[in-house]
Amino acid sequence: MVFAWKAAGLTYNRFLAVSARAVRRSLKEEKRLVAERRGEMDLRFAKWEDGKQGDVKHLAQANTAANAASSS
Amino acid sequence: MRCHSVAGTTSPSAVATYATLREIEDRLKSIRNIEKITNTMKIVASTKLTRAQRAMTESRKYGETSNEVFEAAETKPLEGEGKKQLIVVCSSDKGLCGGIHSSLSRYIRRTTPDGPPFDLVILGEKCKAQLGRTNGQNIVLSFAGIGKDVPTFADAQAIADQITQLSGDYSDVKILYNKFINAQSYEAAIIEAFNEEAIAASANFSAFEVDDEVLANLREYSLANSLYWALAEGHACEQSARRNAMDNASKNAGDMISKYQILFNRTRQAVITGELVEIITGATASEDM
Repeated sequence: MVFAWKAAGLTYNRFLAVSARAVRRSLKEEKRLVAERRGEMDLRFAKWEDGKQGDVKHLAQANTAANAASSS
Repeated sequence: MRCHSVAGTTSPSAVATYATLREIEDRLKSIRNIEKITNTMKIVASTKLTRAQRAMTESRKYGETSNEVFEAAETKPLEGEGKKQLIVVCSSDKGLCGGIHSSLSRYIRRTTPDGPPFDLVILGEKCKAQLGRTNGQNIVLSFAGIGKDVPTFADAQAIADQITQLSGDYSDVKILYNKFINAQSYEAAIIEAFNEEAIAASANFSAFEVDDEVLANLREYSLANSLYWALAEGHACEQSARRNAMDNASKNAGDMISKYQILFNRTRQAVITGELVEIITGATASEDM
């Protein structure tokens, strides 16, 4: 059995994040505002090589890009 | 009080006294300001602490439940030949909270030289700065922006995603975090996260009837769970440590204030007495003439 999201190159965590976002967005207004704060993510990351820090990138964008790359 | 400082410059000893009086006053003012600041930070940390602790108890339940599968399956880390370990260090971006970041760094420095080869993933600026100096060669990833607020599961998921995408082949993943024992004490502890082979090789694994295809999902998800647990518990420790640190700082500032206040009053008295003596001696001397 191959899942559709797996075929599209998403990881399981990414799949969960997307579905959780969809559920949160379909809530009623006042509940939605509280719930959406739980889904916020504003992290930056950097890859290291030979003891040197590389460029600092936004995690959300990098993850989307990585998923897009693995699906094609 | 101010009028004392406009004294003449005739005798050097008098100048010195007036200068110290002024100095003490300035010092007192700045200590008072510091006390105000640390006190406010303590109050802020206290309010954040209640939220952080609630998040911690919830996430701990969550992480323990997720790990129950591996306990029941008796999963053990594989003794990988020549494979590296991956250690994830959960600190945060903010300082002013006592020694909780350096206790993590110390743990790494203490345990790793005897252990197998390893790579580091570092969450938070503080441990990055500390470990970057000593273990810079081992770092493969670092994350920033952690510790502004109570960590969300979305944070943990995004981090877990990046970790799974790492190219290296690791024998197991260890998550190093601060374990919350009580409001006063924390200790560096480790959560194990297993890779697919380790899960598949565990003794009691057949009881769960997991398909091979979904095994990778289980692994990713449990990594995110463990990370969330470690992040939330580390965050609670940090807030609690910050509260304690600021409490101590305010107390010390209070002590210094009372000490300086007494010193200030004594010096002022001494200056006044000295002036009186001068005036009276002068008056008596001129009367007798």
